[in-house]
Amino acid sequence: MTADIRTSEPLTPATADLPVLERWTGRARRPLGIALLGLCALYAWTVVSAPLDSVQGVIQKILYVHPPLAYGAYLGFIITAIAGVLYLRNGREEYDRLALSSAEVGVIFCTLMLITGPIWGKGTWGRWWSWDPRLTVTLLLWFVYLAYLLLRSFSGGGARTARFASIYGVVGAVLIPLNYYIIEIFGGRGMHPENLERSSLGDGMGLPFVIGNLTLALAFIYLLIGRWEVEGLRAASARRTAAGGGGS
Amino acid sequence: MSTPLFSVIGLEKRFGAVAALRGVDLELPRGGALAILGPNGAGKSTLLRIMAGLAHPSAGRVELEGGKARGASIGYLGHATLLYPELTAHENLVFACRLHRRSDPASRADTLLAEEGLAEVAHRRAGGFSRGMAQRLSIARARVHDPEVLLLDEPFTGLDRRSADRLTERLRELRDAGHALVLVTHDVGQAAALSDEVVILIEGRVQGRHHGVSASGLETAYEAALESRSAARR
Amino acid sequence: MNVALAILWKDLVCEWRSRDRVVAMLLFSLLMALVFHFALPDRRPEEMRALAPGLLWTAWIFASLLGLNRSFALELENDALSGLALAPGTRGWIFLGKAAASFVLISLVEVLTAFVFALFFDLDLIQPAARLAGVAALGTLGITCMGTLLAAMAVRTRFREVLLPILLLPALFPVLAGAVDATIAVMEGHPPPFEAIQLLIVIDGVYLVVSFLGFDYILDE
Repeated sequence: MTADIRTSEPLTPATADLPVLERWTGRARRPLGIALLGLCALYAWTVVSAPLDSVQGVIQKILYVHPPLAYGAYLGFIITAIAGVLYLRNGREEYDRLALSSAEVGVIFCTLMLITGPIWGKGTWGRWWSWDPRLTVTLLLWFVYLAYLLLRSFSGGGARTARFASIYGVVGAVLIPLNYYIIEIFGGRGMHPENLERSSLGDGMGLPFVIGNLTLALAFIYLLIGRWEVEGLRAASARRTAAGGGGS
Repeated sequence: MSTPLFSVIGLEKRFGAVAALRGVDLELPRGGALAILGPNGAGKSTLLRIMAGLAHPSAGRVELEGGKARGASIGYLGHATLLYPELTAHENLVFACRLHRRSDPASRADTLLAEEGLAEVAHRRAGGFSRGMAQRLSIARARVHDPEVLLLDEPFTGLDRRSADRLTERLRELRDAGHALVLVTHDVGQAAALSDEVVILIEGRVQGRHHGVSASGLETAYEAALESRSAARR
Repeated sequence: MNVALAILWKDLVCEWRSRDRVVAMLLFSLLMALVFHFALPDRRPEEMRALAPGLLWTAWIFASLLGLNRSFALELENDALSGLALAPGTRGWIFLGKAAASFVLISLVEVLTAFVFALFFDLDLIQPAARLAGVAALGTLGITCMGTLLAAMAVRTRFREVLLPILLLPALFPVLAGAVDATIAVMEGHPPPFEAIQLLIVIDGVYLVVSFLGFDYILDE
């Protein structure tokens, strides 16, 4: 019976404690951040210098933020589901941490989208909220992922939380196509443009739109990696406390 | 000792930052009786639930001879009775038999009720049973699929003296009939009376293994183990 | 399959002897009728008839939430859920048994509720009874499948029963959209629109498969 109490070790974990995958993404974080800073500057400049929309005026510039946010939100929710399935298949906790991180970043993007949308809607359609099908579906997804985070925080941590959350993440992802199917059937009165790229982008608006997408995609990845690393360090710290601290 | 019926290897279980088990190794020979003795919060119930296949370990594994599937040859008697109060004793057993895919649920239920001395109350609802009767019924429930190992989690809790003696007697009979037993308890007397090996579990670690010791000898060893743990913490 | 039947039998026998689930659901949905009466005051009968499909489904869904929660709350008594988890084989069959029992009980409550709504709000439900039953069955199947999966998780969290509506309702909006659309048509004496029925069938299929497979992972710790 050797007493295995490693009190001499510090309780602050280092990145070296992380699983390989997270260590690797952690290393990519700094160069990504630098690239992101540069892109942000370029993004701001192109948005400012893009021509004013002749009909909508300055409010139209939300275009450079709103759709890219939507892509980020969906990306987040899809990664959550995939990571959830991977966790259920092989039980490795880093996948569960990825799912959580991705859902949180996705919720941030989704929230920003739900804020920018009504501002744009007020400016162009004259109402804050129009029950446009696409808007409704986004709100619904926002609720799904808030429920996901709530489920996580109320199920006590550990393997059970991870399993519950993985299943619910898959349910959430299943809802995305189902909701678009509903738009297909009942959404004849939608106000969103069906094909943004082709029809409504005027001269000089294409470049800032593309750069906007790139910047926010990079921002998404940067935040995701950072969040994932934090979660990994937290788990490593918990493992040390559990291994070392005895019942104290 | 030949190949063990049941082995637990390097078992760990964490709930967030709380470790319930910190590396537990156990072996149970065929027909053996093992008692896991420890204070409240030592991780005994968690260990038993993992052995029963009700929880997943964070690390380590449980091996059953022949690698049979979950539940196939393990009977589990939990803290709670696992019974439905609305169903009669007989119906509870028939239901459990069907869950375990027995082909003869009704006759198996009759046999078990007779063996546990519950034949007269077979058609009374389990909700009205005394603690002692409910405990006997849950032993019958744990045995529906005729498991080789019975896992018992604090089976004496809430029993009066007579029921407790009767349960001790019954568990001896089951052991003599060839069942292997794993008994989780915080009571030194019961641990000594029913088992041929006692493992002392404190704070998720095995703090001592004792073969064939008397109740008083075990008492001394247990006190010493508890004392050394609290000294180590100071 | 045998396991699913055993659980269906067990749940129905338990319910028959206590009757608490059906009575609670039924009382709740009747109270909903009163809520609607006070929440929508001074409506003409034809206005209420136009609103009836939506109101009926609202009452049904909220009554179902009650019943689904209860379905697993009774498994937590005496830790019977562990007894189910100990059974060998695919746990999907356990899901199927629990879902089937909930489907039967919720359907029963739906029939009684519809009857009372017909009296209160002067609806003719006799004429479209067969079609309405079909639409209700399709909608209820989706509700019970997803509801059984999520209730099994919700009752074992710190929030217990409160969490189920928050988890389940977002998944029920597609069901509600299709079912209300079909019910409006049916109550006006038309056959239900093909798109709505197709939507309900797709949802039922997807929810059934996801829940059957997902249930394997949520019973243990």
